[in-house]
Amino acid sequence: MSKQVTRREFLNLLSAAGGTAAALKAGSALGLLPHTAQAASMDLLAANAASRKVAILGAGISGLTVAYELSKVGYECTILESSYRPGGRIFTVRHGDLIDEIGNRHYCEFDDEPHMYFNAGAARIPSTHRNLLAYCKELNIDLEIFINENKTSYVQDPALLGGKPIRNIDYTTHSRGFLAELLAKSLDAGEMDQPFTDQEAETLMGMVRSFGSLDEDNLYKGSFRAGYAAGGFLEHGVQKDIIAFRDLLQTQMGRQLLSANEGDTGPILLQAAGGMDKITEGFTKHVGHQIRYRSMVNSVEVKEDGVDISYDQDGSRHLLQADFCFNCIPSHLMTGITNNFPIQYVDALKYIRRGNAYKAAFQAKERFWEKDDIYGGISWMNNPSNQIWYPSSGIHKEKGILLAAYDFGDGSFHTSMTHEERIEAHLSDGEKIHPNYRNQVEKPITVAWHRMNHMLGCSARWQRDRSGWTHEEEELYHALQQPVNGRHYMIGDQVSMHSAWQESAVMSAQWAMTDMDRRLRA
Amino acid sequence: MLKTFLLACSLCVMCVGGVNAAETEREPFDDRYCTTCHGADGRGNEGVHAPRLAGMEPWYLRRQLENFRADMRGVHPQDIEGIAMRPMATKLSDESIDDIIEWVGSWEYVPAEATIEGGDPARGRGLYGGCAVCHGDSAQGNESLGAPALAGQNDWYLVTQLKNFLAGYRGAHPGDTYGAQMRTMVTTLRNEAGVLNVVSYINTLSR
Repeated sequence: MSKQVTRREFLNLLSAAGGTAAALKAGSALGLLPHTAQAASMDLLAANAASRKVAILGAGISGLTVAYELSKVGYECTILESSYRPGGRIFTVRHGDLIDEIGNRHYCEFDDEPHMYFNAGAARIPSTHRNLLAYCKELNIDLEIFINENKTSYVQDPALLGGKPIRNIDYTTHSRGFLAELLAKSLDAGEMDQPFTDQEAETLMGMVRSFGSLDEDNLYKGSFRAGYAAGGFLEHGVQKDIIAFRDLLQTQMGRQLLSANEGDTGPILLQAAGGMDKITEGFTKHVGHQIRYRSMVNSVEVKEDGVDISYDQDGSRHLLQADFCFNCIPSHLMTGITNNFPIQYVDALKYIRRGNAYKAAFQAKERFWEKDDIYGGISWMNNPSNQIWYPSSGIHKEKGILLAAYDFGDGSFHTSMTHEERIEAHLSDGEKIHPNYRNQVEKPITVAWHRMNHMLGCSARWQRDRSGWTHEEEELYHALQQPVNGRHYMIGDQVSMHSAWQESAVMSAQWAMTDMDRRLRA
Repeated sequence: MLKTFLLACSLCVMCVGGVNAAETEREPFDDRYCTTCHGADGRGNEGVHAPRLAGMEPWYLRRQLENFRADMRGVHPQDIEGIAMRPMATKLSDESIDDIIEWVGSWEYVPAEATIEGGDPARGRGLYGGCAVCHGDSAQGNESLGAPALAGQNDWYLVTQLKNFLAGYRGAHPGDTYGAQMRTMVTTLRNEAGVLNVVSYINTLSR
């Protein structure tokens, strides 16, 4: 820790930054990086009367996108959906709804009010997901802001201050202050022999001071940025006590807390007003009549001139013959359906691992968090329940729906529990932040995607290793993206390099339709 | 509107199960969910490690469903597949089990394709001698001894189960008497190589 930043390190940093900037310019000039392009607009050839029958397997958003677009240009689409509802992993749960988790079927008992819903699957739309947003606009879906990061929400870790929950803003303000103070000291130490121009050094030091709210001596002595302990309006604000840096370092949670507004959650996030399945409804208003529910695909046979699909519905077997087939059945379920796909295709289907995200929700008898200055956002806990989400909608109404747990990494911890054990776990975890939690919430639902009927998994996982895609993985991915005989396309977020987002599902559907269109024009 | 339509559809396929008559407006469900995991017509799905049920003897299927339901199988923390299965069976009623067995019996038996590599069927043949006493020379099974058919089953499933018996992940529950027999018998396979060899040999047999 006592090691000072050397002149060489400064120089490396400067040259590295210069190198990156140069690369960015070159990339942009070659069109490799996104500009502010508009959403891809489908400009598909009108259907040929002789080959206009399309079978769509799965009424998730990728399948619905295909049905919507191809219907516009005259295709005759039939959607086979194995479950009783459209939307796939867009699943908004309301009063009376069935949670069809095998081994844990239960009905949602939330109060029957428009704002009392829970998005058990897709829940956030980054403003950069322009293809999905374009459909929302076209289909008149009412969108509202989703509050993701909320500085008044809590951070709780047994290792931090004896498990006492602290506000996110306390954690982040103090952490930044101490980090900035360290950096300022390093810069001071390098001053005699530093490689920056005076102007650069001044700018840098200004950034560091501002980043950490340092005083004129470059020391962090607390900041009003963390809010006031008292006063601040009619009287002078009283600064909050500082939490010692060493105390803050007892938790690993800074890794998430300091990057909450970056990456996928960097852009402004949106949600469909009234529940994410309003997006599904937007599509089904146009193509809902094409869906055959409770239709389980039994076999998919790709032929020279089309695709034959056999499926079971109403206790009997049916045959659907189509000229083209778009298939968003999860890869791990498709491997159990008879098919004549080429071997590399099957290998790719078998390679993908299924995600096992887990979510749970409670109805809150009163919106107790609003009395605690929390309006929307996420509290983070270092326990298996991981997060509490406060609803972005229904502000100041009597009740609301809280996300009680979200394990997006490995949900197996809760998945393997009984419904009752899960609920107790979330109560016990949540009351570490909200002491009266147990008495303030009721009517729980739990959703283990690994066991959801007709799903058995959450988002596809292509990468075995977090360090990146292997060559083999990329080859399998591209093999699966290509059609079989130009007739059968796998689609869905599983056929993307960024699974778990509706945008990826929409784009995979658009890619497949564009490919079909290109082949038809050739 | 949609719900009414769905209800009408689902009533047609409804059988026994968890339908609550008092909640007629709610989406009904039944216990015929086996094919979600076990694949089309119960032919098995390697993607979720769920074995083939088509062709499985009704008495064996019943015993296993009852074992899962009674927490006699799928409880060892290392029995990954068993742990996945157990909660699926926990809430089944006797009537549901009867119905599932009838349903499974309606599926055509189609032998599984061989998928495993690295086994030596010739060596496996020697090892199989001990197995044949109960499971039959053609691995066709023997109800009077409580031994199911092995031929035609997914080889990856047989490998997993034999390894689980060897390691004590399956068959260790005191109530699982057939499992206990298997644990004793499987020791003749000694190790993973023995398992691969014997399953490679079973792959050469047909019912």
